[in-house]
Amino acid sequence: MKVTRIAKVAIATAAAAGLAVGTLSPANAATRSTVVLVTSNQLTGLNPSVSNMNLTFNSEVAYMQGFGFNYYDNSPKLVDNKIFGSYKIVSQKPFKVQYTVNKGKVWSDGTPINAVDLLLSHVIASSSYSFTAKLGDPTDNEVAPAFNSLSYGGVYDEHHVGLPELSKDKMSLTIEYDAKIPDWQIYGPGPSPVHTLVLMAEGKKSLQSVKANIAARDKFEKAFYSYNTKLMTAAGKIWSNDYNINTVNDSTNPLLLVGNGGYILKTAVPGQAVTLVLNPKHKSNPSGPATNGIKTVVFRIIGDGTAAAQALRNQEVDIYQGQPTADSVNLLKAIPTAKVIGGDQAVYEHIDLRVDNAAGSTDNYTGPFKGMDQRAVDLRTAFLTAYPRDEIVDKLIKPINEKAVRMDSLLVFPSEPGYADVIKNSGVSKYTQGSQAEREARALALVKKYYPNASATNPGFTVKLNWGTPSNARRAASAQLVKAALGRAGINVDAPGSATWSRNLASNAFDAFFFAWVKSSVTQQGNANLFCSDCGNNYLGYQNKVVDAANTKLGAVLLSPKAKLAEYLKIEKELMKDAVSLPIFQHPGVTAVNAKLQNVKPNPLSPQLVWNYWEWKYSK
Amino acid sequence: MLAYVMRRLGALVVILFGSSFLLYNLSAYSTDPLADLRLSDAPNKEQLILTLTRELRLDLPPALRYFIWLRGVLGVFVGNPNFGLTRENEPVIDAITGAIPTTVRLVLVATFVAIVLGIALGITSALRQYTRFDYGMTFFAFLLFSLPIFWVAVLLKQYLAIDFNDFLVTAKITPGWIVGLSAAAGFFWAAIISGTRKRVTLIFIGVFVANSIFLSIISATEWLAYPRLGPIAIAVLGVGIAYGVTYLSMGLSDKNALKTTLLMVAVGTVSYFPAQAVLDSNRPRLGMLVLFLILLAVSVGGAYIFARIDRGPIIRTSIITSTLIGVLILIDKMMQAWRPFIESDDVNYRPVATIGQSTIWLTEVPFWVRVLDFAMHLILPTIALTLISFAGYIRFSRGTLLDVLNQDYIRTARAKGLTERTVIMRHAFRNTMIPLTTIMVGDIAGIVGGAIITERVFGWQGMGTLFNKAINSFDLNLLMGVILFLSTLAILANLIADLLYSVLDPRIRVGAGK
Repeated sequence: MKVTRIAKVAIATAAAAGLAVGTLSPANAATRSTVVLVTSNQLTGLNPSVSNMNLTFNSEVAYMQGFGFNYYDNSPKLVDNKIFGSYKIVSQKPFKVQYTVNKGKVWSDGTPINAVDLLLSHVIASSSYSFTAKLGDPTDNEVAPAFNSLSYGGVYDEHHVGLPELSKDKMSLTIEYDAKIPDWQIYGPGPSPVHTLVLMAEGKKSLQSVKANIAARDKFEKAFYSYNTKLMTAAGKIWSNDYNINTVNDSTNPLLLVGNGGYILKTAVPGQAVTLVLNPKHKSNPSGPATNGIKTVVFRIIGDGTAAAQALRNQEVDIYQGQPTADSVNLLKAIPTAKVIGGDQAVYEHIDLRVDNAAGSTDNYTGPFKGMDQRAVDLRTAFLTAYPRDEIVDKLIKPINEKAVRMDSLLVFPSEPGYADVIKNSGVSKYTQGSQAEREARALALVKKYYPNASATNPGFTVKLNWGTPSNARRAASAQLVKAALGRAGINVDAPGSATWSRNLASNAFDAFFFAWVKSSVTQQGNANLFCSDCGNNYLGYQNKVVDAANTKLGAVLLSPKAKLAEYLKIEKELMKDAVSLPIFQHPGVTAVNAKLQNVKPNPLSPQLVWNYWEWKYSK
Repeated sequence: MLAYVMRRLGALVVILFGSSFLLYNLSAYSTDPLADLRLSDAPNKEQLILTLTRELRLDLPPALRYFIWLRGVLGVFVGNPNFGLTRENEPVIDAITGAIPTTVRLVLVATFVAIVLGIALGITSALRQYTRFDYGMTFFAFLLFSLPIFWVAVLLKQYLAIDFNDFLVTAKITPGWIVGLSAAAGFFWAAIISGTRKRVTLIFIGVFVANSIFLSIISATEWLAYPRLGPIAIAVLGVGIAYGVTYLSMGLSDKNALKTTLLMVAVGTVSYFPAQAVLDSNRPRLGMLVLFLILLAVSVGGAYIFARIDRGPIIRTSIITSTLIGVLILIDKMMQAWRPFIESDDVNYRPVATIGQSTIWLTEVPFWVRVLDFAMHLILPTIALTLISFAGYIRFSRGTLLDVLNQDYIRTARAKGLTERTVIMRHAFRNTMIPLTTIMVGDIAGIVGGAIITERVFGWQGMGTLFNKAINSFDLNLLMGVILFLSTLAILANLIADLLYSVLDPRIRVGAGK
């Protein structure tokens, strides 16, 4: 009796529920309008040109908010943004470049953009301007200048002549240089909303009318050309300090957030997320005013790799640049709703050998590789010959990036034009000929010249190898492979690994070093200055007149691509002959993207993922 | 007593000085703030290194830099403390005060749930000593003890977030799951209630059938996709709550208590309707407060009407009941916000979140959608923290209760003819709480600093994250700020635990031993 009643109730309920289900059809998900990226860093400031805000992530956020004359694509190649404006050489001698802003471009507060907005680039990069306008000495170690900029002492600072000239209609700016400097395109000016600096210097805390904005910009122009210390110092203090915020919300001064990029910062919560919304007045980025329906771009801060992969699987995030390890790649490939994009980073692993005292060291280097005599060169050659580069690439890199290759040129990436020529003629072949076993035998023969009793079980000498630990399983595995291979060549490798490895780079206690260099921009000089005598990043004590001459030439005048490669080849030949350094591999990059999100093309250079944000769109 | 406290506080200052000096120097020597710059290929590298050296005073040895830092900290005594700036130029004090509420939100709910559930299961386990249930709980507790939280977190995210969100698309429970879940529930209740073989079998069958029907209805109505309670469900659940609370606190034989709590259920159910308007208003927090105060007033009033003796305990019982019903009304309100929440572009039908504290870019949404968003982000970390911390409470409360139950006064109470409920709840349980209280204090202090891994895997920005960040970015000021805060908290918690012990147990006196 009781049971039947329960059954009746159940049947009745189920029937009612069935009816209810019939009327409630699940809603269809509309095309999304939000893109969520994973970042492991947090926003620390809105002005990456100041030292304590100069972080990659700050630059990425700033990139989305402002757009100028050119940008790097993912080749990486410099592309002109013809939508915003144009630039051309107006005189070869003296070398003058004219930058013109197209008409109709506006800041997000509605103020039309003109060439006055380009003048700030000069203020923050020219030491002579800082001196003349009494804004402080950028080289002073005690007191920072009013504009506490990172650009002082750079290429622009050293080569520009006089003040930039405005055209009559104020839409063009002409800059004079003392020579046709290499890569002059990337040292040109970019737009900054100077009127907001003036307004903030006057104590304004809200957006003003376009008329007031134009009046403020006129004040800036006047102050710029009259070296008005008072106004420029006030603007400089704002520029150096007020952008140093990690929180953005409704109470943030909106003048700090004025830009001309596709998206404008809306909120930033430390450790959580940074949100940008579509700039309704964007006309300056390469898509012009067109959009692909993406209204919100969010950077979600996730420090943990597994957590990020699971968030991607749960569709909470759309783009994640993963840790390039074999495990994490497999994890990402297993996500059904995401696609994995491989590729290379503009970072390469390499092995360096100490030649002489490190710059700035007080003690003397006395290791086996000291000097340029035949014995030192032979021992260095033996070390580099036996170095198991193929094994490292095959065992540690190929599982992540199937297309990975061993790198054989220190100055040219395998994907760059001219690579094949350089490696054919540089003399690298003495390190690449034959199999690993044959190379080890050749190396052992060289070692035996000086240590006749040396063998695989009885090493001739010991090399102290510096590498970075902890939390880098790949480097630990690399060190193991190196130890084994060089042991077979009669060289004992002492490679304990160190957390403070970067300090040891300038230490005479170490004979060999493996770590990675980043190519942060594509310049003509490239990485040639790593090997010039007494240069800042030459820790090896290596001095070579041929290398110095080629490096100086690369840094001084613009060369044709062919002439540039010829100089590179000169440097590489010396380096291979003297057995100083060898590249190993290009760091692999792994990006996983929501399968529905189109046109995400990772760029090896900063801003890595967001460089083409205007092209992103969701498929249906 | 006062002298004792002053002495302990004096020791605190000495300990803090010593430990901070040691830690400052150790940290300063172990890190290299210039590491990144040494590898920089910027043309003005020297300039950059000089700037950073100037900013961080790297030209001074760490021992001297410590005293610069200490001078700022000692400003505490003149009302002008200066804990320095982080590497990102944010005052350390701001970073820490910003992180505390997050950690508290994360830790408070988890600790509360762990304590309540842990004690409940521990006591049940003790009362069923050496039964299958007891062994089961012991196994369960040791299993949880041994789970690393990062692994628990990965599993929870996979099953309770990713798979559950996938499941919610249809919200249809498969027959296999219905049978499995119902069988599990049947075993659980049969083990707890126990008795003769026939009784156990009957309980198992009863629970199994009831659960299967319940789950089938949930599945058929897509209740999980369209959750709601409504006044009827609130009334039914309310009656259950009334009976449960009355049973535990007064016993069902106390008709006055039962009448009062049932009155509260009626009032609560009726108040459901005006509550909707109040909660939808633009001052929902004020509305909640008013609602709660009204329920409170009615429960006190009801108790006065029905209770002639035992007014105090009846008022308490009735307040607990009405609070729980108030919670039900709030849960119903959140359920009403469910559809707008999951259908929003930002949530995109993935309600259970694996990462972060909230969907920050969810702007201009109704208050209850926002609350729901917070709740859905809190759910996984809370479960993870609860799982690993409540095993301790299970074991501890079981052991303590067994200890107390063997005391003479329990035998005396039983000999007096008191009901088993009174013996357990009034005589045994209260004495069990004394040692538990001191443990809780230490636990809360420890967990504030100890949630580093939890915060990292769930992307929360609390004290643990600050600590981690300070170490990774060589941020000495921030690191010292966090260490100072945590060590002060740990020492103070110990002091409070000692003092509480003497308050709870009159046999213990602090500072008496000479």
